[in-house]
Amino acid sequence: MGVYAITGGSSGIGAKTVELLKAKGQEVINIDLRKCDIEANLAAPEGRQKAIDTLHRLHPEGLDGLICCAGVSGACGNLELIISLNFFGTISIVKGVYDLLKKKGGTCVVTSSNTISQGAARMDLADLLNNNNDDEQRILNVVSKLDGTNLSVGNSVYVATKYAIARWMRRHSATYAANKVRINAVAPGNVHTAMTATMSANAKMALNALPIPTKYGTETLMDPEEIASVIVFLSSHEAKGVNGNVMFVDGGTDALLNTEKVY
Amino acid sequence: MRPIEQFIEIMENKDFAALGQLFTDDGHYCDYCPNGTAQHEYHLYGKEAISMFFRNKFLFRQYSIMEASVLDDRHAEFIASFGGYNIMAIVTLQQLSGDSHIRRLTVRPK
Repeated sequence: MGVYAITGGSSGIGAKTVELLKAKGQEVINIDLRKCDIEANLAAPEGRQKAIDTLHRLHPEGLDGLICCAGVSGACGNLELIISLNFFGTISIVKGVYDLLKKKGGTCVVTSSNTISQGAARMDLADLLNNNNDDEQRILNVVSKLDGTNLSVGNSVYVATKYAIARWMRRHSATYAANKVRINAVAPGNVHTAMTATMSANAKMALNALPIPTKYGTETLMDPEEIASVIVFLSSHEAKGVNGNVMFVDGGTDALLNTEKVY
Repeated sequence: MRPIEQFIEIMENKDFAALGQLFTDDGHYCDYCPNGTAQHEYHLYGKEAISMFFRNKFLFRQYSIMEASVLDDRHAEFIASFGGYNIMAIVTLQQLSGDSHIRRLTVRPK
């Protein structure tokens, strides 16, 4: 039995991942705001440190896996939260428990998004996140000046964080692997959640304009289990040859919209 | 109405569902114009893919046509707008099935 830490494991993809890992007999430590094992606000530096310290105290012998699912959507209305939770809440935890993963030759899976291939990211912001990520507060100050009430702005910031997560993972993957820690990303398509079940007609129309080929004709979204099962695979020994990979788990939306991008 | 006229009318109306139905099951939509816009070419195989793809492009205003003119049974020209980047384009119905569905269509810069 292995020990896996997961962020955002109380709902959505994270909760389903917890369920699948436990069904395989793994011990799972859920880090979230509520209904979890470690209550910590990963949007704040002190919350991240609390989670890191607790994991070191609970499992000084090391971790078999870390899965980062915590995040908010571009429609949450809080641009700074998108930055601080999605990006910094992910990379800080990975960096903070890297030593624990090294001890057991563990794996890491971070959560990106299939929107990274659709050209909507604020690339200046993605560059700031990747190239200046020791300066969180100044980046937050820049973002605070943007119009948080504008959904397209929120989306462009969200996509920037997901792009930056994928690129951060790629940049670190070689050295991590050389230290026996595999790291990969999943890039989910639109997933059915409590939020998407209650969204407005206009928002649903926009979602349905990102067609999911495997759901053709049904107007339904991806099921969280479809993403979670790939996360579990990437975290498993069966995926020992996979490293530095951004795996699109979107039912073929990316392939539909970007047929010519094969690499 | 001739297939080329149907195509133009459907594109002007942004009717993604009807667009897919213009094609055979394995119909090929091939657009080389995006090369000029720093995007990838469009290569879409099958009417479902064509319909889904343009649903996305139309709704997010990433593709539209204007100033269309039918030249003959197989050709028409129009200005294609890729999210506001305009390219003069010429569409050719390369292959049609016996029941006048499109097997292969190409769009190239004019």
